[in-house]
Amino acid sequence: MNPALTIARKEIVDGLRDVRSVMASLFYALMGPAVVGLVSMATRSNAKPESEAAVLTGMMAIFTLVSAFVGGMNVAMDTVAGERERRSLLPLLLNPVSRRNVVLGKWLAVSFFALAGLVVDVLGFAVVFTAASTHVSAGPGRLVPAALGLLSLPFLAASVQLLVSTVSRGVKEAQTYLSLIVFLPMAIGMFLVFSPAAKRVWCNFLPLVGQQLQLEALMTGRGTSLFEPIALGCLTVGLAIVILLVAANRLQRDEIIYGN
Amino acid sequence: MITIQKLAKSFDARPVVGDLSFEAPDGTITGLLGANGAGKTTTLRMICGVLQPDRGSIAVDDAASGDALDRQRRIGALLDHMGIYSRLTVRENLAYFGRLRGMSAELLAERIEAVVSILGLEAIADRKTHGFSQGERMKTALGRALLHSPQNLLLDEPTNGLDIPTIRSLRELLRRLRDSGTCIVYSSHVLDEVRALCDQVVIIAGGRIVAEGSPQELCSQAETASLEEAFIELTGATRSN
Repeated sequence: MNPALTIARKEIVDGLRDVRSVMASLFYALMGPAVVGLVSMATRSNAKPESEAAVLTGMMAIFTLVSAFVGGMNVAMDTVAGERERRSLLPLLLNPVSRRNVVLGKWLAVSFFALAGLVVDVLGFAVVFTAASTHVSAGPGRLVPAALGLLSLPFLAASVQLLVSTVSRGVKEAQTYLSLIVFLPMAIGMFLVFSPAAKRVWCNFLPLVGQQLQLEALMTGRGTSLFEPIALGCLTVGLAIVILLVAANRLQRDEIIYGN
Repeated sequence: MITIQKLAKSFDARPVVGDLSFEAPDGTITGLLGANGAGKTTTLRMICGVLQPDRGSIAVDDAASGDALDRQRRIGALLDHMGIYSRLTVRENLAYFGRLRGMSAELLAERIEAVVSILGLEAIADRKTHGFSQGERMKTALGRALLHSPQNLLLDEPTNGLDIPTIRSLRELLRRLRDSGTCIVYSSHVLDEVRALCDQVVIIAGGRIVAEGSPQELCSQAETASLEEAFIELTGATRSN
């Protein structure tokens, strides 16, 4: 088996055995559907169907983007910063495996958890929108393309989180930075909700911003051309790879061994 | 066999290892002695390919290679960082590192059983390593270093935390490996252990070699009766009361 896949498999098994972290990630992923469910109940009696749909869709978009960032956060923290702290990173680097393969394996594992967070979030919204009889259409015809449009996002989130974990000297430091990074999709989402004028055409091709706009468009039935999600997906994965290379380069430095 | 020539490494312009040259032949246990901060660990890390030297060359098994991965294939090492994965069992820990070294499933299963038996890990082999004692962790880490039957073995304070029966069986194991032709580099602060085990000793102070030879030769050179006295004499270290 390729060393990167060996590392990814071990990290996934290791991550799944950390039951507390898995439960925490699950709660994070389901937080959005729970909050939106409560809001839909509160607004059902006195809101116009269109405005209710707009508010709920806007909230869904923000929480869904956040879920892609929280799903793999604990694993990202643990897999490099945690390994340094527990002094198991050096024994790993003693093996004849290139640093790029080490980073690639860890990235695949973090992406797996980030993707799982996203899937749980989208399924949660499907249940909430259906059960709460909201005015948001949550059939597979809308949710499946919406989820597909977001597929590239967990890979970007995993890259950013892995880079942060690589530059951090310990779990606490990584946790501080990664918690702040979760606010990034939230801040962008809120800005776009409250400032619709900011939605220019080129915004559709900006990673994170583009995914939010596409998700809102799909969920409100406006739809987008096929070109936009594909181009955005390619740009997002491209950015993820660049960040991953920076992380691999960072792992070559002496401070990785001596940084504690 | 490990041959290093004029090896040098600095951190933040502070020289840690300077022009270090020595040879650790096959079938020999070479002791690396030095006070804290002498440069032993940095030297071992450069040989293992986790740190890049500023200057000098490292040849392992006569292959003078700048390729760290090539060296790592030929070396098994237990360095000062010996973290193991607490949510994996001993066998899973060993299997992970065996797979990273490209070992086949059959060979891996065979070697895991051999290492578990050699180190007396049978009772804990299927337990997750969380909560292991220092000795149990050390044995697991040692198993990781021995798993792929390396021709060259680098050990940094390998008896830390081990109980006396395990230290004795480790010594016997190292002698057997030496007799079968393995090159062993052994870094330790326990001078009695070095004297009992090492065929030749390299003493490092301030990142440079100050003396080398068999324990007896070092004692003769320093005109002292014990290796401890010889070490203090040769390194110029201050005697404590």
